[in-house]
Amino acid sequence: MTLTTPMSPDGPPSVRIRDLTVVYRTAAGELPAVRDVSMDLAPGTVTGLVGESGSGKSTLALSLLNAVQPPGRISAGSVDIGGLGDVVQLRGDKLRQARGGQIGYVFQAAQNSLNPLKTVGKQLLDLGRSHDVKDLRALVAEARDLLARMGLDGARVLDSYQHELSGGMRQRVGIMLALVLNAHVVVLDEPTTALDMITQANILEIIREIHAERGLTTLVITHDIGVVAEVADEIAVMYGGRLVEQGPVRAVLGDPHHPYTRGLIQAIPRLTGDIDEAQALPGRPPTLTTIPDQGCVFRSRCALRMDVCDTVDPLFQSTGDRMVACHAVAPAATFTTTTSESEREMTPSRAWSGIGSGRREPAADGDGVVARETNEGDSA
Amino acid sequence: MITGTNIVKTFKQRGNVLDKREVPALRGVDFTIPKGGAISFIGESGCGKTTLGRIIAGLETYDDGEITIGGVDMSSLRHRAQQPHFRKVQLIHQDPYSALNPTRTIHQSLHDPLKLRARQTGRSRQWTYDRAEELLNLVGLDPGYVLPRYPHQLSGGMRQRVVIARALTVDPEVLIADEAVSMIDVSLRLGILSLLRDLRERLGVSLLYITHDVATARYIGDDGDMYVIYRGQVIERGPTETIIADPVHPYTQALLSAIPVLYGVEQPGAEQVKPVQAADAASHAEDGAHCLFSSRCPFADDRCVTEWPRLGHAHESLQDPGGRVHACFHPVQRQVAAAPIQRS
Repeated sequence: MTLTTPMSPDGPPSVRIRDLTVVYRTAAGELPAVRDVSMDLAPGTVTGLVGESGSGKSTLALSLLNAVQPPGRISAGSVDIGGLGDVVQLRGDKLRQARGGQIGYVFQAAQNSLNPLKTVGKQLLDLGRSHDVKDLRALVAEARDLLARMGLDGARVLDSYQHELSGGMRQRVGIMLALVLNAHVVVLDEPTTALDMITQANILEIIREIHAERGLTTLVITHDIGVVAEVADEIAVMYGGRLVEQGPVRAVLGDPHHPYTRGLIQAIPRLTGDIDEAQALPGRPPTLTTIPDQGCVFRSRCALRMDVCDTVDPLFQSTGDRMVACHAVAPAATFTTTTSESEREMTPSRAWSGIGSGRREPAADGDGVVARETNEGDSA
Repeated sequence: MITGTNIVKTFKQRGNVLDKREVPALRGVDFTIPKGGAISFIGESGCGKTTLGRIIAGLETYDDGEITIGGVDMSSLRHRAQQPHFRKVQLIHQDPYSALNPTRTIHQSLHDPLKLRARQTGRSRQWTYDRAEELLNLVGLDPGYVLPRYPHQLSGGMRQRVVIARALTVDPEVLIADEAVSMIDVSLRLGILSLLRDLRERLGVSLLYITHDVATARYIGDDGDMYVIYRGQVIERGPTETIIADPVHPYTQALLSAIPVLYGVEQPGAEQVKPVQAADAASHAEDGAHCLFSSRCPFADDRCVTEWPRLGHAHESLQDPGGRVHACFHPVQRQVAAAPIQRS
């Protein structure tokens, strides 16, 4: 299943994201939804990006297309895609050609990204014309092949309106539209959310097969670790706009290092085994306005919290087979001691309450409530 | 205790004269919700599990069959006389964002049903205030914080807890949770699930959990029965652990095979069952005297396309000692569920 073929000159492209920061303009100033994220998508691999709502995973994915919409903007960093250069610097027509041309994007809820007034075939032709495809006949033939490859009747689907297709079929149409122009970097945003179990298994299998057949570099974004386990080679975990852990899927799932990854995996009820092994993760994920702008983003829910977590951002650094951003797991003695010594004196553990002071009061947050929400949870 | 016998429901599609179609949603379903017990309905979207839940909550009519609540047959009662019985059954919706009135504070949302309840039981006005706080405490919220707020000021997980508290205002005996956690953040889901489990333990309410997620159903009621529903028919029913460990109906096996395996933590089951045809194509197949799953079943033979296997009437061996019944002519136990990797 794992596909890490050696790179040929025209093999799958690599993606290098460096120090990417995406901010959204709000009444409280510009707040980062993605902060200092560096990540590599190795050529020919499927990477699964996991995060809860508000973790910044969709924003990060849109940055790959340089398609973050106002009030959001990419404020720093670069996204280098092999054969294309830095996408963040692309403008105008070049950018439009890259989107769909080199980078395919399958939108969350593909059912809602199709035009209800046009048949799938007409939308395919629109796509071809906007990308200056000379031979539209060949494009249609290619689309038909792709749909047939995914188990659909290509001619019928191209003649259909989106309401005539089921959820699983629309999802496959979305994948077809992302790949038909021969894109080699593909981003799938929640590809199986709202699909039934059997349809989901089917779509995941298709994603895996098409990925291998066409030599793609694929990024799958999801909130469901199960989906990543099934489809991906690499897993990247996002929390509060930061990348907290990244590594090979089996290694990370079997032995998660970051406390958030560990908590998340433990919070999934399983089909077999001891039912009470599932434990709720205390607290709740931060929103844009409640993400602390200093120190570890996960500390308010963390069992391993130390003083240093309040003041110093944990570095996203390599520990053996993976990257982790945690003071407790990968104490970065050389990097942090110099700053932490002094800062610990000045800002004791009350720093947390002070951080939010410059910001608008979050909609719903009170530490008392957080604590209560969980102490009941895992008692049984 | 609630029992249902041979519940039938058919939706009539509106359309022009030639195009009128009848969609069978439930084809004679039997069920029992034991007092203080937990059962689950499992199935894909469109299988009728939500319709059945709404019928049990008194929100939907049924064409045929019988529902008894605490021994009283509902079909023989007029609508008004049914109400005090259906009061004992409360539904928790999937979407906590639309289940609460956005223009009313949580206090207002909880207070109306409580006032009604106070009038019915001859309690004082003060009781309603005390009870609201008590209920919020019970579901793990801070009343002082939550009561004056509007739904949009609360997170999804908190809202779902408020919805549960509201369901409890009328002292129900049965809670029906229809996909109650599917819209909640992953790290908060387990908190809601264990709250439901906890309420069952502490208040003795029965739970009916409706979902497509077998693992959460197991978490809620591993000691209860699981009903696997396919196109309006219960095709396998039995103790939850039995159904997961040794399913005999190919559809149950396909459903369990489709659940993602957490590689690194789990290994896939010994066998996997894959339906031969996509659901999209099968849903247009003619209804008739055949197994509803036969067009997708990899093990179907001639008998499956000429005879309709009914739950519990299909085969001599279909009542196994464990209390499992199924609707398959060729039941074979297959171990398809993923199992944890044993660590040394």
